[in-house]
Amino acid sequence: MTQFVFTFLNGITLAGLYFLVASGLTLIFGLMRVINLAHGAFYLLAGYISWTVADKTNNWFYGAVVGALSLGVFGTLVYVLLLRKFQYEELRVALITLGVSLVLAQAMLAIFGGEYYQTNIPTPLSFTISVPGLGLSYPFFRIFVLLLAIAVAISLWIFITKTRYGAIIRAGVDDTTMVSALGINVQAVFIWIFFLGSLLVGFAGAVGGTTNSFGMGTDGDYLLFSLQVVIIGGLGSIGGVAIGSLLVGVIGQYAVGYFPTFAGIITFTMLILVLAFRPQGILGKKS
Amino acid sequence: MRSQLKYAIVIALAIAFPFITPDPDFWVSSGGTRALWLGVAALSMSFLNRNLGLMSLGQLFFSGVSGYIVAISSVMHGVKFGTSVPLAILAGTLSGVVIGWIALKTKGVYFFMLTLAVTLGLYSFANQAQEITRGHTGINSIPSPIILGMDFAYVKPLYYLFLGISVLLFALCKFVERTSFGIALKGVRDNEDRMISMGYRIMPLKMIAFVFSAFIASIAGVMGVFYVTNISPDSVGLLRSIDLLVIVVVGGATYLGGAFVGAVLIAVFEAIIQDFTVYYVGATGILFIVVLMLAPQGLMGINAQIRAKRAKSEGVSR
Repeated sequence: MTQFVFTFLNGITLAGLYFLVASGLTLIFGLMRVINLAHGAFYLLAGYISWTVADKTNNWFYGAVVGALSLGVFGTLVYVLLLRKFQYEELRVALITLGVSLVLAQAMLAIFGGEYYQTNIPTPLSFTISVPGLGLSYPFFRIFVLLLAIAVAISLWIFITKTRYGAIIRAGVDDTTMVSALGINVQAVFIWIFFLGSLLVGFAGAVGGTTNSFGMGTDGDYLLFSLQVVIIGGLGSIGGVAIGSLLVGVIGQYAVGYFPTFAGIITFTMLILVLAFRPQGILGKKS
Repeated sequence: MRSQLKYAIVIALAIAFPFITPDPDFWVSSGGTRALWLGVAALSMSFLNRNLGLMSLGQLFFSGVSGYIVAISSVMHGVKFGTSVPLAILAGTLSGVVIGWIALKTKGVYFFMLTLAVTLGLYSFANQAQEITRGHTGINSIPSPIILGMDFAYVKPLYYLFLGISVLLFALCKFVERTSFGIALKGVRDNEDRMISMGYRIMPLKMIAFVFSAFIASIAGVMGVFYVTNISPDSVGLLRSIDLLVIVVVGGATYLGGAFVGAVLIAVFEAIIQDFTVYYVGATGILFIVVLMLAPQGLMGINAQIRAKRAKSEGVSR
């Protein structure tokens, strides 16, 4: 029973992290039809940056802020310099971002080497809480990550459904040409979306680099997680990311805990089952 | 006739290559054999892209399945290659049915993403399933095949074996493209709806093409095991997937020959640049981005691209 609850807690807090990672991917795709396959590399880069800043300043929050902001700027640069010109050629853009991930991975290997890193949990949050009735204590920081993810999810939802900017974004998803005909600078909207999406993955990298260790190969792992999450949930939908994260996080953790050999296969089977019945993902729109 | 002459010259050059290259011990293996192996793997991608307009990263999944089966059965269970190799190719090909059943419901960038996830899934399985795959270390010192008393541990026999396989598979692809099946495929690529209204059943056509490409990829998987003599999760990892993609795109993704042109170029490029930097994969990545931005049709398509550009600028000036 204890292991069962413990695995559930691990799964649901990991789902929080997956949500933070994949929401940026789906946000960018939702409006711009751009699949950023350097997403995993962005995550890892943010991990390194926040680790370095937190290590130098002895302050976790500085690390997280600098990590998120620098990825926001970096992502925007990648978009403006490499992707914008070919934005409507989906596959070409996906390929270019894959090239970016290759270059980034090598650059990070050159700078940070092959060792694994993990940022220290900020002292005020570094305590455990006991789960009533089970005699089990659980690190609070992981719960904190889940709370953060919920907060981000709610803010994103409010931003997209309730604000004027959200309305522009939703309109842009449906008809870019019409939106620009209404006098809205769609190019600027695109830049902001890319900034926001990259900012989110940067923040995810800072947080994930604290709960989990990271290093060479982490980029591929998190690219896989994000792809699974958005494919299952439905590409371009924030709610889909939430469902996908929960499924991949919780089922993935039970698989790792109880059938370690076949953990990958189990998550994968889930993905195949979802796609067999809903090729566009659980909440995805039919193209 | 002209193209037949071209093929004859290329094959003659490839046969003569081990005798005319400087430093044959290095270049035959690191240039020639490696390029042929990667070329066959890339061929399975080019075939799909050219005939169905689908860019698949799942090819490495099929290579991985067949490669791991050969490695596991021969090293850990002592199965002879005569049994394990055909079985592995069969298993890799059949896994194409499962993946195709899911992936072929999607198109374009979705298809690309899904097949990438499939390959990354095999990577994480190979890492986790230690009892089966020996995890991260992988399976090492896989013996070389000995066929009719010829030991393929030597560089030249392996090169000529791979050359033979490459020529056969390339010719097979060319042949398939000329059959009525191949022509129907191009119809599906260009306009699915029209093909449906003409009474074609699309899914079986796509499926056969996909499974055929899985068959080529499975052969490439076995070639990889014999060339590298080991297999590990990295053999099906993200970097290797991108490697294949780079080859296909740099060579020219809409040309069958592009697979081999790209493979030769990348093999030579990496063999040379390895002397200058250990981070040569990053250099390959930069090359990839540059090609994508400037010449998306790849090397094989540069002529057509220049011609199109010239025609366009003449049209404007007139």
